[in-house]
Amino acid sequence: MRKLFTSLSGWILVFFLIIGTAFAQQNITVRGRVTDAADGEALIGVSIKIKGTTQGTSTDADGAFTISAPSNGTLVISYIGYENQETAINNQTVLNVKLKTSAESLEEVVVVGYGTQRKSDITGSVARVKGEDIASQPVLSATQAIQGKVAGVQIISSGDPNSLPIVRVRGTGTMKGGANPLYVVDGIITEDIRNINNADIVSMDILKDASATAIYGMRAANGVLLITTKKGKTGKMTIAYDANAGVKEASHLVNMAGANQYAGYLNEANIYYGSGDELITAAQLQSGVNTDWYDAILKKGFQQNHNLSLSGGTDKVTYFMSAGYLSDEGIIETNNFNRFTLRSNNEYNIAKWLKLSSLLSYSRFNNRAVDLGAFNVAYRAAPYIPAKADGKYGNTSLSNNVGNPLLSLEKVNNSGLGNRVQGSFAFDVKPVSWLSLRSSFGADLDFYRNTNYGYQFDNVGPNSVFITDGGNQLRDKSDLTVTSNNATKWVWDNTATFSKTFDKHSLNFLVGITAEEYKFNSLDGKRVNVPADKDQWYLGAGSTTGATNNNTGDKWARNSYISRLNYSYDNRYLLTATFRADGTSRFPKENRWGYFPSVGLGWNIAEEDFMKGQQTFTTLKLRGSWGKVGNDQINTNVYFPIAAINLPYFYNGEEYSGIAFDQLPDKNVKWETTEEFDMGLDFGFFNNRLSGEFDYYKKTTTDALIDIRIPAILGDADALYTTNAASFTNKGAEFVLNWTDKINKDWSYNIGGNIAYNKNRITGLNGGQALLDGNVGGNQGNVTKSDNGQAIGSFFIYEADGIFQNDAEIAASAQKDAKPGDLRYKDLGGPQGVPDGVINEYDRTFAGSYQPKYTFGINGSVTYKAFDLNFSTFGTSGGKIYNGKKAARTDQRDNLEADVVNNRWTPDRPNTDVPRATLGQLPASTYFLEKGDFFRINNLTVGYTLPNAVLSRFKIEKFRIYIAAQNLATITGYSGFTPELTSASPLNAGIESSIYPTTRTFSFGVNIGL
Amino acid sequence: MTTHKYLTTIIAALLIVFSGCSKDFLEIDPQGQLTEEQALKDPNAANQMVGGVYNTLYFGGFGQTTVGFLFECLNDMASDDTDKGSSPSDFSDGGEIDNFSFTPNNSVFDNVWRGHYSAISRANRAIDILNQSTFEENIKNKLLGEVRFLRGMYYFNLVRCFGGVPKLIRVPDPSEGNNDEFQTRASKDEIYQVIIDDLQFAVDNLPLKGETEVGRATKGAAQSYLAKVYMYQKNWQKVLELTSAVINSGKYDLVKDYSLIFRENAVNNDGGNNNIESIFEVQTGINISEDAVSPLYSNGQGPRSKGGWDDLGFGLNTPSADLASAYEPDDKRRAASIIFINPTVVHKDGGDPSNIGTVLWDGFRIPTQDSVENERYNYKAYHSFLKESAPVSNNKDKKPKNIRLMRYAEVLLMYAEAQANLGNTGEAEAKLTLVRNRVGLETVPGSVENIWKERRVELAMEQDRFFDLVRQGRAGTILRARGKGFVDGRNEVFPIPQAQRDLSGNRLEQNDGY
Repeated sequence: MRKLFTSLSGWILVFFLIIGTAFAQQNITVRGRVTDAADGEALIGVSIKIKGTTQGTSTDADGAFTISAPSNGTLVISYIGYENQETAINNQTVLNVKLKTSAESLEEVVVVGYGTQRKSDITGSVARVKGEDIASQPVLSATQAIQGKVAGVQIISSGDPNSLPIVRVRGTGTMKGGANPLYVVDGIITEDIRNINNADIVSMDILKDASATAIYGMRAANGVLLITTKKGKTGKMTIAYDANAGVKEASHLVNMAGANQYAGYLNEANIYYGSGDELITAAQLQSGVNTDWYDAILKKGFQQNHNLSLSGGTDKVTYFMSAGYLSDEGIIETNNFNRFTLRSNNEYNIAKWLKLSSLLSYSRFNNRAVDLGAFNVAYRAAPYIPAKADGKYGNTSLSNNVGNPLLSLEKVNNSGLGNRVQGSFAFDVKPVSWLSLRSSFGADLDFYRNTNYGYQFDNVGPNSVFITDGGNQLRDKSDLTVTSNNATKWVWDNTATFSKTFDKHSLNFLVGITAEEYKFNSLDGKRVNVPADKDQWYLGAGSTTGATNNNTGDKWARNSYISRLNYSYDNRYLLTATFRADGTSRFPKENRWGYFPSVGLGWNIAEEDFMKGQQTFTTLKLRGSWGKVGNDQINTNVYFPIAAINLPYFYNGEEYSGIAFDQLPDKNVKWETTEEFDMGLDFGFFNNRLSGEFDYYKKTTTDALIDIRIPAILGDADALYTTNAASFTNKGAEFVLNWTDKINKDWSYNIGGNIAYNKNRITGLNGGQALLDGNVGGNQGNVTKSDNGQAIGSFFIYEADGIFQNDAEIAASAQKDAKPGDLRYKDLGGPQGVPDGVINEYDRTFAGSYQPKYTFGINGSVTYKAFDLNFSTFGTSGGKIYNGKKAARTDQRDNLEADVVNNRWTPDRPNTDVPRATLGQLPASTYFLEKGDFFRINNLTVGYTLPNAVLSRFKIEKFRIYIAAQNLATITGYSGFTPELTSASPLNAGIESSIYPTTRTFSFGVNIGL
Repeated sequence: MTTHKYLTTIIAALLIVFSGCSKDFLEIDPQGQLTEEQALKDPNAANQMVGGVYNTLYFGGFGQTTVGFLFECLNDMASDDTDKGSSPSDFSDGGEIDNFSFTPNNSVFDNVWRGHYSAISRANRAIDILNQSTFEENIKNKLLGEVRFLRGMYYFNLVRCFGGVPKLIRVPDPSEGNNDEFQTRASKDEIYQVIIDDLQFAVDNLPLKGETEVGRATKGAAQSYLAKVYMYQKNWQKVLELTSAVINSGKYDLVKDYSLIFRENAVNNDGGNNNIESIFEVQTGINISEDAVSPLYSNGQGPRSKGGWDDLGFGLNTPSADLASAYEPDDKRRAASIIFINPTVVHKDGGDPSNIGTVLWDGFRIPTQDSVENERYNYKAYHSFLKESAPVSNNKDKKPKNIRLMRYAEVLLMYAEAQANLGNTGEAEAKLTLVRNRVGLETVPGSVENIWKERRVELAMEQDRFFDLVRQGRAGTILRARGKGFVDGRNEVFPIPQAQRDLSGNRLEQNDGY
């Protein structure tokens, strides 16, 4: 830490020195103002350069600039989105400039792997989200902020303050491998971006098809998200302070039955259909306790976010420094999270041909996590038991064998402390105009310590924590588990870029070599009888009896060769070809090297002669691409036959450690390969006021990794064999439309929408075994089955077909033991493949999957004078959710939802779709399956910016205040807590059991610029 | 400046070339995990692998099993010794076995099949490595004998459960794994031949008890199991020969007090773990990782609470009323084998203070029947937390209970049965009397019928009764009389687990009637 601060302050000193020298030159002083030619608005941050030199400045918040220049010189004025302009000084000391909007606003530059490209030259499917759209939302990770903004990118977020949302680019890309996309932060490849302060982000570029992603080869199959952080700009120092603070709460709750409803239901079930007596007696309800367990374990959480940044630069040095602090209490009791970040990004132009850059970030977080099991238990706990009264807890384990969830939360302190340093140093050499060489060394050091302390508590006797003694919830000895992880990664990229334009031919060729190494070390220990005082939470304070420890590690390395050719003829015909050879230690020698090619073609139709002179199309581009990418996210070294060690046996009463070789690994295991095909059309009408994109894609994944069950005779301990045996496809289309308009000086607005369709189908399971997953507990078994012709993770359950109303219906059915009020299930099969008059495993049927057919978002903004309004929305449709918490009713005294109790079938209420009161668990059926469709207003922000006239008196450049609502409203038919379910495995996605509910936040914020 | 420029450019160019790293860069062995290759570099590897085969005796719990909890349940529940026990809805797979309503999908069969084949695979691998080892011939053969003893014992379990099964006596190459050779069933006779070869090798190469570490297989253990195998084949001459060898070795005798056979500690030098009567037993012990036990063996069968007390187990595999009534009036084994829950209910307003429930040998008091789920529990599986070793974390599932697999009493009864079949009823009666006198019973004639009757009560709930009834050819008659749905010509063996048939592509043929 100290070292970091020393070096930071050193850098700052350097900046000031260099800024000082920049102003020390002798010339005439030219002042002026740069405005928009159309509306006369001041343009901020316009680059003013003296032609033929690298000297320059940029405009301030009023569009004003001051530059010292030779009296006969020429100023080059350039600004993104506007046409460049050159103005001779001719001894004038005041120069006012009006810039015209560039006809090609697509002249945007996008970040591609190992470089940048003009958007107009791109042949692949690439989307960009600007940093301000990310930073404007009060969320931890950048991916959550892009929800709904990019077609074909499904973001599934969680309310957990420390969560990394699930990202699915163009459908589910794997079955058993890692399904997350690749993140690249300023060139450093990473799996986790929670260390990145959203306020530091300039842009996020999402690479969706193989033409764009294949440069990342073996890791690109789930898409690539490139994050670029802010750099300083030549010009005066700017200081920005942004802050917001707000309160969050669960955006939707499930209404559980109250004590009387609960007792009524259970007693009805037992009296009419069970043993006949009352399960819940009047005496038990006498106290009048009526606990809403969700009330007991949920809270309103305070959230705040502060960012301070400093940036600027001279011709020689540009700098950007920032500090950020975010805290979020979450909405579940005891949850608490905070994060502190620092960043210093500097670039040094040592000579015209040599540039150095150092990008450095530090982040530190503290997180007291919660066991989400409490959320499921709160669903089940009996409502007549009090949560907590006078410091003592209600004893739920006496009622229905679940622990008191509030006690479970309060008697555990599971806290993590993470420190992460990420950075890179690079130099760029440009010996001649057509060649540039770059070497970049990046490192990512991640240190994490977790302290999990379980408080001792009694359930009987004088120190009992319960109002009523007994039950099975107790911890007779306190315990402490300390885990210390450290991960180190370095990556070294070396590239050479040849770039040449001759005549109408433009050529850009990149070659490079990269090397990467990752090491991970985890050390943990556990002891009991550690004192409850926080300062004693060290293993040394505990008992040595029964102490355990463990140490594990991981290490892999990668060496790759990359190349990319961009060729364009007359800006009309475009070609991109990439090739990456990936060598990795993660696979056996024979499969060590993978080769990933791609080709993309583009045709800028609007540039053709026959389009000249027409006013309708500003942009019209046809794209097509093909390529192969891979997914290597499986455990390191799964191909190695590993010995099972420390297998004990006792000889002469002494322990002897035996070994066994009882894992059959696939010695030929390799990466998954996805072949992608994409066709796209980009269009822009009326000076690009209306613009859009259309894409069609088809992705075919082969060699997908799955576990195959193998006969026991082969002697594999778990009888599972992990191998590349499955294949599947994702086909889909995306459509994006944006409208931007400036009505007059006061009014401007834009609105954009996107919609994407995806269809996922398994096309082959070598060996024919379907994959079962999604066990919700009790007798329901696995509720998903991934089989040929179905989507990955499809639900496979009985089909509920209404409710039996009378004995005649039952007699005519396959459920002879049913009673009126029971659910009827369709008899769909039998051992011979035809209905057999029995409802059993053969009657399960496919009933859809969590994967949505459509994902969509509408986003927009309106500016009126000093007011601005922004909104973003997101929705999905076509996915299904299995209500696992409702289905997993394993104890007959578990509580029920108020709707289930109130609408249950009774002879007097035959017209209902909820079955009669029952104590047992119902079988897995479509009764528990609901539509997962939802549409949500993710963010609504209203801001007001103080006019310049007011600000200039205080020497403030910008002052904006705003109020924002995050997840303002959700429209969904789903009855659970949230239709957004984060499951790590695609095989069991979409089962709601223990989730952190989506939160709604109202916040207030300011943006101040100096 | 120009010099700098070219120098820097050259350096940059060199960097690009050299970052294509050396070959070794991508050669990384697993971290903190012992590869098989490295494990075999240890000269002691073969010995350790034998340890790994003994370790298979712990396979148990509700998962794959060799001689553990589920195997015990399978034998005892299918026989008339025990009922499923616990609460009516608990462990429905066990209930199906108890009343013979099971199908090939019953998970117990798959777990028995998987546990045994996992163990056999370990044995095959150890044999393979032992054959390549540089141990001295006699050491090598002793270790081979131990492994083959265990493999023979496991095949004996499989052949009695399922009839003919796939014959694996070597390590198949993964490419051969799918061959018919391994994916189809060998005949029952072929499997018996494997068992006899293995056990005979063990008899020939294992040392006597006392000449090897306690817990390892001995010549006596191999002879006893081989005798039992021949008994199933009705080769009485061989049975006699082998049991005589065990008896004449002078290494074994009966424990004086029957109830002490199943305790951890001897009382006055009588009984306890590895007592004078023990011929082969699963050695358990206490270690930090609590994995040197047969999980749930004791807790699965321990008395189960209906509420109100910290109970002793899941209450499964409970002694049947029929077993309880099978003992002769003075038989000490009845009280030593079965925990009878005191049926007296203490009234809420006091009642008879002498009705204190059931007090076990260690002083543990089980409450009265109204707080206990079942009426009887298996005393032989009881492990005391008060007077015997407790696991480090007090995890009840991990009670270190040694499972007695072969006792001298059984050898005496096998000897007697052989003599009876060979016409020497006097000799039969003499050995039968030894067994009976110990438990306070008078001499009875050495008839086969009496010996069978004795076997039941002597070996009750010791994983023997069901197979014994099938061997005796009267399983159908007896079990139907107890109300079980045993079908002759079908239920003598259990079905081949459906999951394994599916994985073989139905090349594993199902047993008749399933």
